[in-house]
Amino acid sequence: MPTEVILPRVDMDMESGKIGKWYIAEGGQVEKGQLLFEIETSKAAMEIEASASGVLRDVTGQQGDEVAVGTVIGRIFAKDEKYTPPAKAAHAAAAKPEVSAHTAKAAASPVAAPADHDAHGLRATPKARRLAREMGVALAGLQGTGPRGRIQAQDVSGSSKPSAAMVKDAAGINREWLVKGSGMPLVLIHGFGADLNSWRPLLGSLPPDVPVFAVDLPGHGKSPLTGVPNIDTMADAVAGAMAGEGVSSAHLVGHSLGGAVAAALSARLGAGARSLTLIAPAGLGPGINGAFVTGFLAASSEAALAPWMALLTANAEALGPALVKTTLRQRKDMGGAAGQAAVAAAVFPEGTQTFSVRKHIDAFAGPTKVIFGLEDQVIPPSHAKGLAGTAGVHLFAGVGHMPQLEARAAVGRLIAEQVAAGSRAGRNG
Amino acid sequence: MTSPVRELSFAQAIQEALGLAMAADDRVFLMGEDIGVYGGAFQVTGDLVERFGADRVMDTPIAELGGAGVAVGAALTGMRPVFELQFSDFSTLAMEQIVNQAAKLRYMLGGSVSVPLVIRMPTGSGTGAAAQHSQSLEAWFAHVPGLKVVEPTTPHDAKGLLLAAIEDPDPVMIFEHKLLYKMKGPVPEGHYTVPLNKAEIRRAGKDVTVAAMGIMVSKALEAATKLAAEGIDAEVIDLRSLRPLDIGTVSASVVKTSRLLCVYEGVKTLGIGAEVSAAIAESEAFDHLDAPIMRLGGAETPIPYSPILEKAAVPQVDDIAEACRKLASGRA
Repeated sequence: MPTEVILPRVDMDMESGKIGKWYIAEGGQVEKGQLLFEIETSKAAMEIEASASGVLRDVTGQQGDEVAVGTVIGRIFAKDEKYTPPAKAAHAAAAKPEVSAHTAKAAASPVAAPADHDAHGLRATPKARRLAREMGVALAGLQGTGPRGRIQAQDVSGSSKPSAAMVKDAAGINREWLVKGSGMPLVLIHGFGADLNSWRPLLGSLPPDVPVFAVDLPGHGKSPLTGVPNIDTMADAVAGAMAGEGVSSAHLVGHSLGGAVAAALSARLGAGARSLTLIAPAGLGPGINGAFVTGFLAASSEAALAPWMALLTANAEALGPALVKTTLRQRKDMGGAAGQAAVAAAVFPEGTQTFSVRKHIDAFAGPTKVIFGLEDQVIPPSHAKGLAGTAGVHLFAGVGHMPQLEARAAVGRLIAEQVAAGSRAGRNG
Repeated sequence: MTSPVRELSFAQAIQEALGLAMAADDRVFLMGEDIGVYGGAFQVTGDLVERFGADRVMDTPIAELGGAGVAVGAALTGMRPVFELQFSDFSTLAMEQIVNQAAKLRYMLGGSVSVPLVIRMPTGSGTGAAAQHSQSLEAWFAHVPGLKVVEPTTPHDAKGLLLAAIEDPDPVMIFEHKLLYKMKGPVPEGHYTVPLNKAEIRRAGKDVTVAAMGIMVSKALEAATKLAAEGIDAEVIDLRSLRPLDIGTVSASVVKTSRLLCVYEGVKTLGIGAEVSAAIAESEAFDHLDAPIMRLGGAETPIPYSPILEKAAVPQVDDIAEACRKLASGRA
């Protein structure tokens, strides 16, 4: 099975990239880690390394070609591997390098890992294949949410749902409807160092027909840092963003730092908070991996950042090099990590969580779930102990600090249960 | 004008259909072991022997092949025999007459004769009747061109399908699940028929199609009620006719739901659900499938006598619900 060379997503807003040049010619020998080709995005040129050693074959993306993110532009055959012509799916994707609006949307996932491939090519259900055909979406660029990375219809149709234009005003924080619709929305609050785009891989696993609203916390993504950064001001900022969208009640979901913000937000919303889902939340105990926070903020190169980001997941390679690149680039766009450093200094000084949201969680009357990966190397999963007995605690073996990525389907299911339970509670109350 | 409707048990509905057919047509007569004075092993024929006499409600010896031969011969001469096999398991003894004679004669004699024979058989597990009295052999007969095979799941259909079968010019095998005999349901008075080639949607839904047969239909409906509380909307199809299979109804449903679960009590391998699954994969619904087709069938074992093992050997409500959850949540 040759290794596919895929045009990666190296920039937050990147939908396609132009191939600058190939460092290795068709038929040439390449070593893993060697520079393979260059992408020119709207902002910069970026060099991409080979992800495997072997002979480069089937180069379809030529210099100057504009190619959708996720497109297969070549294949690397291992030394002893017999050459086989490209599988049909890969061929089709490569044969149509032009970018359609749908293709671009489809690829807009911050973790640009392609769906798993098996010996016969891409895994996708017949319905997903049909929808992709009809919508002109390249399956190769999609993140499969089914077993073994199988692409399902929701992965195709979800990817093409029109995402609302970025909403931003001078006073408020950046927010976006990741899934539009009517009904009680989910409000997603990301963790430290991330942004609202980090939720995109989870979207396909969320209950269908539920609108999804996400924010960039102050100092993160496209939200500037204003005022004193602490859990309360961040909760106020999210409440403000919700009010700006006319959202007075919602199911709250937060990850890590965003979990603490969600808990604080639940106290502000009162009955408007229909359920509370906290994924590897901060604010339950003093311990946090201070070295991670410091190292993550200090890193200014891929080599320095990658080992820290590897701590986020149980499988060190789960996040992939593209996210490292994206994080660095984003940091550059924000003019450095000053905003996040200020947040860290305020809430995690000297490797200590200086705040607690336990009282908010214990006081919350709606359905509450706390989700941890048992291999979490950033916040100890033991923090889930000692909450009110009515809060559900879900612990995942073999999962690290990112259950929403590492146990995507299961977390999606738990959130669906929250939506169902919270809606029932709403009717009765 | 619609006839008045009252509640009858499944067994009463069958008895009513037999009585109506015999009263309307002198050619109709019943054969079977203990169906006369005793009223049938499951009390389906009841007091019909008193109404129509022992000449038309004939007790046969414990010799299924002989009984079937007499029934096929009578049908060839223009009579309309309804032959009851005490347990569908005993059809094995009558196989030659059913498969080699009844199913083939119209074809082999160039259409100059037909075999208007009905064979009724109590079937399935759940009564502690053990390995030789509990099988579900529908697929054996559904494999034979020349036979029609149906399995009613409501008192209404038990009556309507039986009347249609008696009026049909060709041999019809009717499987009656033993656990359904006491089930009550609305049954119109008087004569009506239910087509021998149509499936019926018992519950409309949008998330997953459950194609079930026999007792599994009521289990699937029970599972669907549980699932509805969880936000999963299952469509339950009663296949009802197993030969011919009404794949069109299943296919239209799968186009809507994108997910298919086949549930049947017969052994899973090479069962009715295997055929439904393959036919859907070949149908226009293929491009609408968003998950692998799943099958829940009987275990690869004789039906055990132990009540606990007997239950474990066939799909139960929770198994169906869990399979639907897997399908609906993209975990299948």
